[in-house]
Parts: sequence; structure tokens; C-alpha cells
Amino acid sequence: MSTPSLSRRQFMGVAGGLAGAMALASLNFDAPAQINKPKISADDFKQDQREVDVLVIGGGMAGLFAAVKAHDAGARVLMVSKGRVGSSGLTPFAKGIFSYDRKKASMSIDDFVAKVSESAIQTNNPVFTRQLAEHSYDRVQELKSWGFFDSPIYHESFMRPINERRISVDERIMITHLLKEDGRVVGASGFMLDEKRIIHYLAKSVILCTGSGGFKPNGFPVCDLTHDGTIMAYKVGAKVTGKEWNDGHPGSAKNSGSSYDNWHGQVEEKPSTTEVTINHHLGVDLNYQAYTQGAPVMMGPPGDDQDRGSAVENAGPFVPEAFRHSAPPPPPQQGGLRGLFAGKGHSGPPGMGGEQVGGSSAGMAIHKSEGLVPINEQGLSTLPGLYAAGDALGSYMSGGIYTQIGSSLAGSAVQGAIAGEAAAKESLKLTGGVTVSNEQIERVSTEMLAPLKRERGYSPAWVTQVLQGVMIPNFVLYIKKERMMLGALAYVEELREHHVPMLLADDLHALRLAHETENMVITAEMKLKASLMRKESRCSHYRLDCPDIDYENWQAWINIWQDEKGQMQLEKQPFDMWPKFATA
Amino acid sequence: MPIQQISGCIGCEACVKSCPTDVIRMNRGTNKAEIRYPEDCQICHLCRLNCPVGAIKITPEKSIPVMVSWR
Ligand SMILES: Cc1cc2nc3c(=O)[nH]c(=O)nc-3n(C[C@H](O)[C@H](O)[C@H](O)COP(=O)(O)OP(=O)(O)OC[C@H]3O[C@@H](n4cnc5c(N)ncnc54)[C@H](O)[C@@H]3O)c2cc1C
Ligand code: SF4
Ligand code: SF4
Repeated sequence: MSTPSLSRRQFMGVAGGLAGAMALASLNFDAPAQINKPKISADDFKQDQREVDVLVIGGGMAGLFAAVKAHDAGARVLMVSKGRVGSSGLTPFAKGIFSYDRKKASMSIDDFVAKVSESAIQTNNPVFTRQLAEHSYDRVQELKSWGFFDSPIYHESFMRPINERRISVDERIMITHLLKEDGRVVGASGFMLDEKRIIHYLAKSVILCTGSGGFKPNGFPVCDLTHDGTIMAYKVGAKVTGKEWNDGHPGSAKNSGSSYDNWHGQVEEKPSTTEVTINHHLGVDLNYQAYTQGAPVMMGPPGDDQDRGSAVENAGPFVPEAFRHSAPPPPPQQGGLRGLFAGKGHSGPPGMGGEQVGGSSAGMAIHKSEGLVPINEQGLSTLPGLYAAGDALGSYMSGGIYTQIGSSLAGSAVQGAIAGEAAAKESLKLTGGVTVSNEQIERVSTEMLAPLKRERGYSPAWVTQVLQGVMIPNFVLYIKKERMMLGALAYVEELREHHVPMLLADDLHALRLAHETENMVITAEMKLKASLMRKESRCSHYRLDCPDIDYENWQAWINIWQDEKGQMQLEKQPFDMWPKFATA
Repeated sequence: MPIQQISGCIGCEACVKSCPTDVIRMNRGTNKAEIRYPEDCQICHLCRLNCPVGAIKITPEKSIPVMVSWR
């Protein structure tokens, strides 16, 4: 294989490809290729334009609070989501929400922030960690007043404050593009899933509450999210971060594709609050155990020694001393997730009992560690007019590892509220309307519908399966080494350069899939490049070829952006500094 | 099969709207919900929990091969 004419990069591609090909052998692609015969024509789409002060994209916990608080600050608000409010993204599945109650908390806010930093090995941004503690209680009280804790299904309680305020909501609209004029983000465009219609939303400010995403993995309900917001923002020049971290939720070996069974039916539970309990968990310990010892892998309840892979003492992902529990932490006094899991007939989240497999959330990082780079604590991005909140904001509230159960949901509420108010205030200061050039509207519409117009190309499902085969193996995404990542990168770059421009769609569902597939491919490239750049191991980023923490060179996050030539650029962002604002 | 069967549907559309991955669509002829894209079902059960008449049956197996990190 060491043909001299191959460059090192190409050689790595071939070597790495072997693994990808082997992984792929287990998949079967039965449908023969056909000329694309769209069931709908791209030529008679209707087009609408709507104008508001603040556009909120996403109908999860962050979007809910962003819309409500932007309205309450006096702005005309519209919320748009590709799924139903409270029934799309990750929010419908989260059942524990952190509430820092000053009167009852077991530690002060200063101590809370310090302890999270200790667990996160300084990868957290203490400004957002503190914000979580300071505001979570108030957001939880509001949720209580809307009936959130009274039902396992969230749509109704989410719609209560929205309907009371008569906030406009557009559901089942896939946003594909952000609109930018003279350096400022001025809206977004997307298409309806139920009729042939493109909608251009013009707004004075936009808040991305589009959540996280993954590679449509198995056993974790993240298959409707593909980092759309992050990639849209990246394409118009925003900086994004956090792509080297990994969420390490395992899946069950039995029926690995079932999110419901993997989570033991937790979606049927009503939500409850959680209190201060700081952990260092759900990184890649189990992946390391599986890599070094092979399957089967079992895991005890969280906090149990076994989730550290106790048989691989002193090796593998580093866990700070204070967080190596030798016994499960004491259960919270009342309620809390642990109480929830202890309920009758309820065995809790994945990893509690039974044989485990990896990769259930492949393509997703630790919540709040990935997303748009903020330049201030309001969640303003590096682009004027564009805010982000919740899982779409790379706030590093928790850091590169999970530190506090329930803080992901609470953090989305807190950040959504703060961004909503800030975006409203900013938009009210802007006098005059927003305009977008016809040229931009035309370009965006053409790009949006292009997969319907192609006669030949590749199906989104096939490209997705190839991507999964290349990225999801434990030895590529989780237990990292340079050689394998370069190999995988060659595959991913091929998909991006040659296959993404030829994605096909024959109806509106497939058109959504085509855009989602492109976003997954670009995300994969970001994940590999960031993981190659971070030559150390820390929290949920683990490299076999540089297994130690590098305090000298890596007290930094990684920012990623696209330069004027369309090239992906990466830079270090020191932990204690905010990035610069792009100049409009 | 993931989402497997819909029987006894009264056409309320709740499942169509509550499915995050757009698996179910209304059949405008019969005014009943039908499983249109089962390969994209993430087996999350939101549709079943939102159905007022318990018309939806779901099984835990995927209809396409499952890729995991090890086995
Ligand atoms: C099974 C499971 C259990 C969890 N348990 C907990 C827990 O107990 N406690 C906890 O704190 N956290 C938990 N989490 C994490 C928590 O759910 C998330 O961190 C949080 O809900 C994120 O909220 P969000 O509003 O930021 O994003 P999401 O809830 O993911 O919302 C994203 C929204 O954006 C929309 N959107 C995305 N792309 C587009 C597009 N292109 N166009 C239009 N709209 C778009 C989606 O439709 C969706 O409405 C859990 C997650 C899962 C999956
Ligand atoms: S189980 Fe979930 S993904 Fe499958 S059809 Fe029902 S709502 Fe959609
Ligand atoms: S929710 Fe139930 S009754 Fe309503 S459309 Fe769906 S299957 Fe039919």
C-alpha cells in the first residue's frame, strides 16, 4: 500500500478507508441508483416574505424563553421551528431541570462555579456557569406557573405563555440559510415541509435556538437535529466552537436503534427539579474501556466505580481526584433525577444495567460546549445581529464534560431569556426597516431547491450511511489518534467536495434530508480537524497518541470559521478571553 | 419495523405534528395518518404519546441497519 506516488495525506486516506469500508460492509444498500424523478417541481414554489423585530429559530427550551422575553421587552417576535414547539429537538426528552435555590443550596454560588471549573479542568466559561446558578430558579418558577411540571408532554405548557402573548409561531419549516446584508445578519430563509413554499424572514435580530445535532445516530433522540444553526452561521462567517468534545452516552446492545427503550421509557415521566451535585461524567470512559478490553461492556449506576472503567486504573481519560467516587453520591434530599429514576418500574437513563454499545449520540458534543462563539454574556455571536442560546451557543457553561445534572435544560432556559431580552432591546434601537437584495433572495432560493433539480447524484440516506460508517467507529470519533483521523478526514472531504454538491431530493422530506446531510458532513470535518489540532486529552476529548493534559499549550478552546475563500480555519481561543466582534 | 402500524385513526394530525423526524403524513384521500418515512423513525414514541386514541403501534427494531461504535 505504500505506493511512493501517494502523498502522506492520500496514503492515510487509503489506510483509514479500510476501516471505513469494513464498517460499511455491515450496511446494505439495496436500492439501485435511478435518475432523480422528483414528485414535485422546483419551479412553482410560492415565495413569502415576513418581517419582524426578533426572529427566534427553534422551539425548544431556549427558543421558548427567547421568544417570551423578547416579546416582554417590547419586540415583535416570530418563532419558527422545523418541528413542533416542545416536541422537537432534545427538549421533549429532558426530565430533570436544575434549580439553584439560594435559600436551600448546599454551597454558595462562588463555590458552585469553582467546583464546576475543577471538574471541567477549567474548560468551562465561569461567566456562563455563574449565570446558570443565578437565574435558574426564576426560570423554573416561570415554568411551574405555565404547568410545565404537570405533564410529561411539553407542547401545551410551552404554548401557554406564547398564546397569552399572541406570539406568532411557524412550525414545520426547515430553515436553511441566514440572510446577511452589509455585514449584519438580517433574517433567515427556509421552506415548508407541507407545501411548496419558501419563506424569507426579515428581522432586526435573529436568535439561533436550533439546539445541537448528531450524525442521525442510534438510541438517542437527536435524529432531527444536524447542527443546522451552527452550519448556517458558519457559512455566513460566524465563529463556532467545541467540535472536539464528545457526548459519551452509551446505548443498549439490545435494540440499539430504539431511543425509547435505551432510555427505559423516561419520556413518559413528568419533569422534576435537580439540586447541586457536581460530577465529572458521561465522557468517554466507557469508550476507552471498550477499546482496550473489547465488548461486552457493562455499566453500573452513575457514580458507581464501574462507570470509570475501574479495571483500567490509572489509564484512559483523566478524572480529577475529587470526582472519582468510590461509592454512589448520596441521593438528593427530595425529588431530583435520582429520585425520579428510583421510581416504581423506572430504571433510568442508558447505562443503568445491561450490556452497552457506544455511539448512541455520535456527532453531538457535551451540551453547551459546542455552537456559536459568544462575544459576551448575552450570547451575541461574532456577527452583528446574530445571537444564539442553549445548545446552539458554545457557552461552555458546563465545560468539556457534564458537571451538573439538569443544567443543560436549565441553561437553555436561562440563556434563551437573556438573549431574548438583549436582542429585543437592540432591535428596538434600530430605526428603519430591514432590506435584503433581490440577488441574495434569488441565490438563497436556488441553493435551497437545488437537490430537487438534479437529475443525477447521491441520495442523502446513502451519504449519511457512509458518513456514519466512517465517523461512528469507536477508534475514529472517541478513542482518537492522528492516523485514523487523517484517514477519516480524507473520506469526509471527499463527501463534502464531491458528494454534497450532488445530493438529490424528490420531495420535501428528502429536501430536508439533503440539507441535513450537508450539515452533518461539514460537522464531521470540523470534528476531525478540531480533534487533530487539540494535541492533548482533557474531559471528553481523548487521544491515545497524546493522552495527557497539556496545561502549557492548551488552556484554550478552538474556534472554527470560514474565510473569504471558503476555507475552514481554526484558531485557539484562550480560556480567559472573549473573541473579537466582527466589524460590520 | 420502528413505528409499525396505525389503526383506528380519527385524523387529528397530532402525530404528524409531534414527530420530530417527519415520519408520518396525512393521507388526504382517507384523512388518516400514514407511515410515510419509517426509515427515519428514531423510535422515540412521541407520536404514540400524543395520539388521543392509542392508534399507533411501535416496535423497538429499526428498519435500516444500525451503526454503533462497537459490538
Ligand atoms: C434523552 C435525553 C435526555 C436528556 N435529559 C436531560 C436532563 O434530564 N436534564 C437536562 O438538563 N438536560 C437533559 N437533556 C439535554 C437537554 O434536553 C438539552 O440540552 C436542551 O433541551 C436543549 O434545549 P434547546 O432549546 O437549546 O435545544 P432543542 O431542545 O434541541 O431545540 C432545538 C429546536 O431547534 C429547531 N431547529 C433545529 N434546526 C432547525 C432548522 N434548520 N430550522 C428550523 N428549526 C430548527 C428544532 O425543531 C427544535 O425545536 C437530555 C437530552 C436528551 C436527548
Ligand atoms: S416514534 Fe418518534 S420518530 Fe418514530 S414516528 Fe413516532 S414520533 Fe416519529
Ligand atoms: S394522533 Fe392518532 S388519531 Fe391523530 S392523526 Fe395520528 S394516528 Fe390518527
